[in-house]
Amino acid sequence: MAVNKREHLDNVLETHRMKHIDNLVQKFKEKRGEIKEALEENYTSNIYSPLNSGSFGKHTAINIKFDLDIVVPFKRYSFGTIEEMYNAVYDFLYEKYDKTDLADVRKQKVSIGVLFKADEDGDLISIDIVPGREISENSYLESRDLNIYFNKDTWGFNKGTYTKTNIQSQIETIKSKEDERKIIRLLKIWKNTNSEPYKSFLLELFTLKAFDKSTITGNLWEKLEGVLIYIKDNVIREEFTLKDPGNTSNDLMKNLTSWERQNLSNKMQFIIDRITENSENIKTYFPINKKFDTTESYELKGSSGLSVPKDDQRFG
Amino acid sequence: MTSVLDRVKFDKIKSTISTIPFVSIVNRIEQGKLFVSGNIEIYFEELENPLPFDFLITQEYPLKTYSTESITFFNSDLIQYNHVMQNGNICIHTAHSEDLENKIWIDFNALKVWIVKYYINKEKDQKYEHLVVKDSTVNGNKYSFTFTSTDKVFREGEIGFVKLSLLHDGHYKKENIHNFYVKYFETFPNLKKKCSWNEFYFEQPTDREGIYLFRESAPAKYNRFAFTTWAELDLPQDILTMLHDFQKQCFKEDFGKVIPFFIGYKINSTEIHWQIALMEVGKFPIKGIPEKKDGKKTGKWHTTIDDVPINWGISKNASYEYFFGRGRFCDVLTDAKILIIGVGAVGSMIATTLTRTGCRFIDFIDHDIKEPENVCRSEYRFSKGINNKIFELAGSLYEISPFVTSHHVNNDYFEKYIKSFYTDKNFQAYIKTDLDKYDIIFDCSTDNDLMYVLNKLLLRSKLINISLTNHANELVCAFYPNIYNFVNNQFSNVLENDVNDMYEPTGCWSPTFKASYNDIALLVQIALKQINRIFSGEKAANNFIIQENNSSFKIIEY
Repeated sequence: MAVNKREHLDNVLETHRMKHIDNLVQKFKEKRGEIKEALEENYTSNIYSPLNSGSFGKHTAINIKFDLDIVVPFKRYSFGTIEEMYNAVYDFLYEKYDKTDLADVRKQKVSIGVLFKADEDGDLISIDIVPGREISENSYLESRDLNIYFNKDTWGFNKGTYTKTNIQSQIETIKSKEDERKIIRLLKIWKNTNSEPYKSFLLELFTLKAFDKSTITGNLWEKLEGVLIYIKDNVIREEFTLKDPGNTSNDLMKNLTSWERQNLSNKMQFIIDRITENSENIKTYFPINKKFDTTESYELKGSSGLSVPKDDQRFG
Repeated sequence: MTSVLDRVKFDKIKSTISTIPFVSIVNRIEQGKLFVSGNIEIYFEELENPLPFDFLITQEYPLKTYSTESITFFNSDLIQYNHVMQNGNICIHTAHSEDLENKIWIDFNALKVWIVKYYINKEKDQKYEHLVVKDSTVNGNKYSFTFTSTDKVFREGEIGFVKLSLLHDGHYKKENIHNFYVKYFETFPNLKKKCSWNEFYFEQPTDREGIYLFRESAPAKYNRFAFTTWAELDLPQDILTMLHDFQKQCFKEDFGKVIPFFIGYKINSTEIHWQIALMEVGKFPIKGIPEKKDGKKTGKWHTTIDDVPINWGISKNASYEYFFGRGRFCDVLTDAKILIIGVGAVGSMIATTLTRTGCRFIDFIDHDIKEPENVCRSEYRFSKGINNKIFELAGSLYEISPFVTSHHVNNDYFEKYIKSFYTDKNFQAYIKTDLDKYDIIFDCSTDNDLMYVLNKLLLRSKLINISLTNHANELVCAFYPNIYNFVNNQFSNVLENDVNDMYEPTGCWSPTFKASYNDIALLVQIALKQINRIFSGEKAANNFIIQENNSSFKIIEY
């Protein structure tokens, strides 16, 4: 029997909701609060109030992969250079958490990762801290623009350089867009369960632009299909741009090679074709998180319990 | 007596040749018993003077025979030019035509092209053309010697011994042939220059010893026609002395035995070739001349060459690039260290195909025993009896390629250790180190538990999972890390896998899938073609299914 695609996708979203891991999220939030307080206490008047970002801040988190990031806005003259700011925050966190054996602290692409040791339940909590510096003196509260430092060659930027971003603006862009957020979550589920290399932020911007520039209507599957078609058609267009709402001079499309663009377009086509040919394929691309699936029965599938080959038996 | 048909054919040949504008003079065209022969002169603007050629047309004309043209042009004054045989035969290969007139035009135009290219412009071909050598038979036996490039260079005038192993005795048309391969060249003092075979071939016992001499130039006239007598070789005294000593040493024990004399020479800046002259112990081409001083014999003897004809053996350069010159997989695959888990029908076909396409490092693991009923749809043989699959398969791979190296991995590694301890962090690091020794791992085990465990690990290796549905209706291929969910969904939900119609052998209750060698091999070959495209960078590594659809096979990418 054909899979009801809308119902299936609803269930995919449901089983990937953060509420299923509320206890764990609570632990993340506590650690995040603890780090925020420590930063505020240490840097006092040199920083503005740290803000939450990452997928949790944007309400696009899924329970198989989510980030609780903290953006720390520093004042213009708190450090000589942006690199000094990045290294100072790393040193501070290293002293506080790594040296005391509470966590492993490491420099990442633009953030500093704090990975706490497993707690009594075996849970590993990790928080990413992104230090940013306001563009000019006292400009942050009005513009919310920050310069962030690149510690590695990434996203088309070289190590040692910096770029402007506006986390607040990124968050605002997605606020109150429930339909878009559902599709973003579905695409993130596809990305994570199918080990796709594309950046979540890229998929997020594609989705927002698809809703903005194209007619995305119908039920959940139809909306998803509309976005997939939009990506398929546009990612290979040379003049197509995807601008970071936090910095319009940052076009994410520039970081994709023509080979990557073609592959992403092909992928979108494959997803649509395979699901159209056989709706069971939707489970390959958008699987239910079985851990939280209440619809699955415990009956043994394809087997009476005898050692006959089951219908999922493979041969070779 | 000339038949009517022949007369018609002869007249047509005659009239057509006379219409070719660059045939300036037809001196003679005659109808013989078996041939049409003649003499013509060719002249066109670029030629200073007309060029005469004899020609011979056999009965088969305009059809080819034994893949060669049934028209031959000769001019023995031209043998120093490229593509001319020793008897003055101009070597041409032309297009097929069943129409006699058309074929004459084609062939005469080919002659004209040869004249422009090699006679007027004196072009030299980029690729090396082997010497024209007449292979000889010694006492009704032919001898062949296969070699590869070695890991060391040779210098002008270098002499030494060649260590050979017998590959196989066989038949060469109506004669017997003894096939040897060179293990290494040994020069003084005790320096081995090894051919690049795998250890299996290198470790075989030495069955014969030969002598070698390395020179800068080919032992040939015009650099093309191998010398026909020993005197033409102009051998230095040290090699003559060596030949004398060698024969003396083995005269009694090996009398009549054929000893190869290797003559090496450079064919370009990096490569060398060997021609092999055959010598019989007792009849080495040397003779003793008494040394004289002031007209009197000193009692000492001096070895000189005995100017007898050379019996040339067959020599073949089977270096990796020639062995796989006609077609192989991309370098990423051929240079990769590969592990195949499970060598049943699919795994064994993958192993032999990878071997034939130039892969050099293929290890495998399988706990299973090969039985007669496995033979019909895998790369095993009845002649090897009941045998561990891994042992038989390793032997088969060595029989196919002298460049492949194959080891088997301990069965317990996967069945016990990995499955038992894969959740242990320390053991995970250990497994990872072990598996990451391989660049590519093909999991053809069809073991869902192993698939799950391998997918859980953080691997550098490129892991590829391949399995079939019953009747080999589909082949499912998935790439790490997107294997477990994909394969499960395919077999559980997407594909129609009929497991009621299984083959149940007599005597035991272990049903297996139904499919022939042809069914399976077709899918495996298509899958490997796709995998080769992926590794050569032509295609993205998307999971795929191969499915038969209205008598054609379709690759469905995900």
